[in-house]
Amino acid sequence: MYFALTDTQREFDRAVRDYLAQRFDLAAVREVVESADESGGSEGSGDSDGAAGAERSAGSGGNPASLWAAAGEQGWLAVTVPEEYDGLGLGLVEAQVIARALGAGVAPGPWRGTVLAAEAIRLAGSDTQRATWLPRLAAGEVVGAFASRGSAADGLPAVEYGATADVVVAPAEDGVPGLVLITGASATPVGSYDGTTRLAGLTGGSAEVLPGATVEVARELADRATVLVAADLVGIAREALSRTVGYDREREQFGVPVGSFQAIKHALADLHVGVTMAEHAALYASYAVQEGLDGADLAVAVAKAKANDVALQATAAMIQYHGGIGYTWEHEAHFFYKRARRLAGQWGDLTVARERIAALTM
Amino acid sequence: MDLTFTPAEEEFRSELRSWLSAHIPQEWTRPGFWESLDDDESFRLRRDWERDKADAGFAGIQWPIEYGGRGGTPGMKAIYDEETVRAHAPRTVNPLGLAFLAPTVMAIGTEAQKKEIIGPLLRNEVIWCQGFSEPGAGSDLAALSTKGIRDGDDFVVNGQKVWTTNAVHGDKIFTMVRTEAGSAKHRGISMLLIDMDQPGVTARPLRQMSGASEFGEVFFDDARVPAVDCLGEIGDGWRTAMLLLSFERGASGISQYTEFRRQYDEIVAVARTLGRDTDPVIRNELARVLTELECLRLHSMHVLTQVEQGRDLGFEASMTKLQWSETFQDLWEVYDQILGADATLDTLPDGTDLRPLHAQAMWSRSVTIWGGSSQVQRTITAERVLGLPR
Ligand SMILES: Cc1cc2nc3c(=O)[nH]c(=O)nc-3n(C[C@H](O)[C@H](O)[C@H](O)COP(=O)(O)OP(=O)(O)OC[C@H]3O[C@@H](n4cnc5c(N)ncnc54)[C@H](O)[C@@H]3O)c2cc1C
Repeated sequence: MYFALTDTQREFDRAVRDYLAQRFDLAAVREVVESADESGGSEGSGDSDGAAGAERSAGSGGNPASLWAAAGEQGWLAVTVPEEYDGLGLGLVEAQVIARALGAGVAPGPWRGTVLAAEAIRLAGSDTQRATWLPRLAAGEVVGAFASRGSAADGLPAVEYGATADVVVAPAEDGVPGLVLITGASATPVGSYDGTTRLAGLTGGSAEVLPGATVEVARELADRATVLVAADLVGIAREALSRTVGYDREREQFGVPVGSFQAIKHALADLHVGVTMAEHAALYASYAVQEGLDGADLAVAVAKAKANDVALQATAAMIQYHGGIGYTWEHEAHFFYKRARRLAGQWGDLTVARERIAALTM
Repeated sequence: MDLTFTPAEEEFRSELRSWLSAHIPQEWTRPGFWESLDDDESFRLRRDWERDKADAGFAGIQWPIEYGGRGGTPGMKAIYDEETVRAHAPRTVNPLGLAFLAPTVMAIGTEAQKKEIIGPLLRNEVIWCQGFSEPGAGSDLAALSTKGIRDGDDFVVNGQKVWTTNAVHGDKIFTMVRTEAGSAKHRGISMLLIDMDQPGVTARPLRQMSGASEFGEVFFDDARVPAVDCLGEIGDGWRTAMLLLSFERGASGISQYTEFRRQYDEIVAVARTLGRDTDPVIRNELARVLTELECLRLHSMHVLTQVEQGRDLGFEASMTKLQWSETFQDLWEVYDQILGADATLDTLPDGTDLRPLHAQAMWSRSVTIWGGSSQVQRTITAERVLGLPR
């Protein structure tokens, strides 16, 4: 029995985190959040040479060039792309590690959409589609997006980085199995109070069928998307909690650190338990889907339900236990809170995730 | 990641499974069987069964063979925990001895204590009680006032313990006793192993809210205990107690999960009988609890991994206690919600006997109190794990 990341996976995790902490910190996130761009964007801090050929995608629409370049160079975009298409050929467990770190860093950018578009093409695309798109997605030469709502036929209401994406994977028609690749769609920016992302409604463009998109494949892609969103939420929750613990250890009122008050201690202790459980759940779900284990569907729903729950609690607690400063624009608590609110609703909000659990166990 | 057990461990599983299926009478698996017996009868049946199990080599899975154990791996212990619950094996009659005393003796006992205590304990020839709580010292264990005064080679003990599980059936009791007159708080306490079958010890049952009398009170009135029957150093009982409690809190999540998961299914069956299984609020509540149960299962795999890697969980054990106890309590609160207006009736209109389930619902109120209350676990987690100031 070995239920944990391997040493290599742990190193990978550390590398992603270190990169974000040193080269794309919260000040850099703030630049993106505060940039009024709808099409042009922030460069972030850190180095800004884009990946080769990334001129079109990088540095636009809330996709900071330096971070996008890093994602390409460090293999974050190539993580699940097979080696024959210039990818790293790793699994959903490693992808989950990156998603968690990006959540902890409340990092902007179309990482998840690009990885999921590649997954859709890997699992359901023709040989030509794979050869055309996978190496370029893996290298960061093109940006991908994966639509969770709407359909190519009727329009896609709010696609993450829809305006930045070069290629979008979407349901062909609402309620009918089948996925299409859309290029050249026209994008209308959609406002969101979560400034760590950019959303756009998409219409038109040319659509190309992904021939292998059976009901099972669509389900598997939804599971993969759900796991990555859950992992992002888990990263948010852990970071929100650690930052709150750090602050409450120092902040003094009544002559003592506020973290010595039991009302705060007990709430943070419960959150620590909850976040730890969510970490287990996201890790297990990624492995169960990757290996096609029995019960993977339940594991995914459990991970999403738990991640939603703790991310909403931990980010709300982050505001509450920072007091007034936690409610200011100046403080970073709102980045975490708003991102958690947005992602909790993606790929199964609490009601949907729980109903799925009920359906699978009752 | 590797969620499989080794071939040797799997072989152990099938050996255990076939022994269990040959030795557990069919009627024992009927829901409510154990609740239908009186305390003494239930105790006798379980004690005999466990002795047979020990004789067949299925006791002390992780303890060394030389002390009467099986010399197995942590993985085998996890399998044992899972399979015994799955087979509807009865709860152990010696929980305190097996889960807390045995590992403590293995860790810090003298060679003589290991030889004397472990084997008989595994065969349930000696039933152990835990004498920590006193009327004035519950969460604040160090406030204890039971005294031990040295008299030659013995200590003479006077005082009272309370909420003592198995008080009436117990043969021996591991107790916290103040052996240095005038010492304060954590100093001057010793962990004495006292024979309960002597004139100076009286045990009386206490009736619990469930109606059963698993616990009781124990009075020491010039009880004698040889000084060599001190576990750990004399005067250093606090350290012994803390070690012992870490085993209590880190209890096997896998057996808890297996048992609670079955109870979840029983509760779902009640919801179905009442036509409440289609109510979206009930479905939502059950799913919420199931989420926590699945997290408990994964957490126990995490704990097992740590143990196999030789890592000490330390104060993280409080998390296991919180997760299982709070989830278990939550599960039975949802059960009440499902029953609604009929929450307290003994039977459903279709004749389903609810008393065994009610017994679990009552029991769930205790699990967040004993073994260190949830409040105590939260404080430990906040201070020792998160590093918040005292
Ligand atoms: C079924 C059952 C079996 C038991 N078996 C045994 C046994 O075998 N051996 C044994 O020694 N004991 C046993 N106990 C006793 C148990 O360990 C104690 O009841 C427990 O430690 C709590 O102590 P108390 O009852 O004195 O409550 P108190 O300590 O008086 O607590 C009262 C309330 O105050 C809270 N509280 C106390 N201190 C703090 C604090 N610092 N911060 C916040 N809240 C606090 C508690 O959480 C509780 O809610 C058993 C109890 C039960 C219910």
